[in-house]
Amino acid sequence: MDLMIKIKSQMPVVIVLFSLGLFFLLPMGSAFEYSIRNGLEGGYSFKNYLWAIREEEFFYYAFRSFWLSSVTVVVTLVVLVPLLTWLHVTKSRAQGWIDGFSLLPLVIPVVAFAVGAQLALPDFVKNTVLELPFLYFILSLPYAYRALDIGLRAIPLKTLVEAARSSGANWRRTITVVIVPITRMAVLATVALTFALSLGEYTLTVLLHWDTFPTWVTFVAQENLLGAIAISMMTLIIPFLLLAAISLLAPSNKNER
Amino acid sequence: MSQNNLKVKSLSKRFGNVVALNNFSLEVTKGELVTLLGPSGCGKTTALRIVAGLERQDSGTVFLDSRDLTLVPAHQRNMGMVFQAYSLFPNLTVAENVAFGLQMRKVDRVARLKRAHELLDLVGLDSQSTRFPHQLSGGQQQRVALARALAFEPEILLLDEPLSALDAQVRSNLREEIRRLQLSLGTTTLFVTHDQEEAMSISDRVGVMKEGKLEQIDTPDELYNHPKSAFVANFVGLMNQVSGTKTGNNVSVFGKTLKVKNEVVSDGRVMVFIRPEFIELESSEIDADAKVISRLFLGSVSQVICQMHDGTIIHSLLASRVSGEFAPGICVKIRVNEEKVLVSNG
Repeated sequence: MDLMIKIKSQMPVVIVLFSLGLFFLLPMGSAFEYSIRNGLEGGYSFKNYLWAIREEEFFYYAFRSFWLSSVTVVVTLVVLVPLLTWLHVTKSRAQGWIDGFSLLPLVIPVVAFAVGAQLALPDFVKNTVLELPFLYFILSLPYAYRALDIGLRAIPLKTLVEAARSSGANWRRTITVVIVPITRMAVLATVALTFALSLGEYTLTVLLHWDTFPTWVTFVAQENLLGAIAISMMTLIIPFLLLAAISLLAPSNKNER
Repeated sequence: MSQNNLKVKSLSKRFGNVVALNNFSLEVTKGELVTLLGPSGCGKTTALRIVAGLERQDSGTVFLDSRDLTLVPAHQRNMGMVFQAYSLFPNLTVAENVAFGLQMRKVDRVARLKRAHELLDLVGLDSQSTRFPHQLSGGQQQRVALARALAFEPEILLLDEPLSALDAQVRSNLREEIRRLQLSLGTTTLFVTHDQEEAMSISDRVGVMKEGKLEQIDTPDELYNHPKSAFVANFVGLMNQVSGTKTGNNVSVFGKTLKVKNEVVSDGRVMVFIRPEFIELESSEIDADAKVISRLFLGSVSQVICQMHDGTIIHSLLASRVSGEFAPGICVKIRVNEEKVLVSNG
């Protein structure tokens, strides 16, 4: 009887998880199935994957996208964590404006954004691929900003900051030693969102005439569609493994509440 | 050499249209525990936060041993602070929380943990040193916060209503502990509370604040027995405040004439203040002055509330063992200890 009640009470959760699983796993499963096809010869093998990693430019562009995304994550954390902490602690009126501003990348077309960047950025920025992390940062702002904002709202931030400062911590140490460890989960979510968005960004990169991993995959797809799908599968797995590693390497949270 | 450890001079602070502090000044001598007492919004917390460096004043100066702290940021002021809300870092153990201030001062790990254990021992929580804040009760968390604030030997200890979130018994124990620690360590302490019992029981001096200003600062005894204004008289302890007429040394009040010693107050309309413990009651059907309307049992004493014939309400504080006869409806005669009556103009 108890078991039946338990099963019935868990039913909605099971249905939701199953539906979500289907929604995510079915397309991925299909793509994977497609990526291991042998084309016209029929049958299945990993030859498309082998082809992809034997391509000379695979690692070049994978590494390039990886470090550009990493720089974007650093820029995001360095700008957003102190900014949001300051906004929350001072209860600044500017918060409303900055909240609104952070949503603008969702409504401004990427083309307009690219043209704006070309017109506004100085040459020494435009001439280097390092312009991308700053632009990726703006594109991921609506998501990164909210992920951090939710984490900071969930703790008594003002009291903790003041306790740290009155104990002798300057602003930098208050943020690095107190705020970031306490909001670790929100920071990790921000890292994950920013990294994933930057890694997959295509339109802006193409419009600004830069080559990264996604633009290279598109180029490769013209020559070998199955190989391109195999590469896409790998690009899904790489960030997944990376984020799983970040979560596992992060210090245990079990003793906190 | 001046004995003033902390000197606050003419502080003013506004929040929009609200004046939080209005030319507020205060001096605290070394080793003293001074409490700022007042109703919500009187500016006591603002004053404390300005001293801590967590708020910037519009004008005025804070000196610590003659050193101007106006431009010194909070983390360089060497002041320990305990907050009203629980403020322990949830990701650190109890010992790591206490050692935090020393870590910020780059004291090596062994030395700072040794000091943390000493402080935890002082507040009776050394056995909890490996626990996390959420595993402690509210009272224990505030004791850890107190240990954290004292661990780096601050020049001033600032307490911002640290007991207000605790239940009555824990509160009473912890305030005794704060006083014990403060006396044994000799730390100059500025304490903020709206609870007059708390303020009166542990302070060397109490400053009563009203509308951003100090109304009176004195020892608890002096404040209670010789309040300098109607506000202080009413805020500190229970007080009967009635209007009367003064002629020479006599004051006519609720149909009685009392002999008072107060040459400063001019004749005419006056306010008369009488503490409830200086009003005695006697059951009397003939020539009764008042009728008992209720009796509140407060433990060893009871408060008897009477209504005079003219409608004035008078509170009397009697030992509970004798107050039993004054049940509601009983007619009583009132006797006032005239030596303890306070009179003021207006």
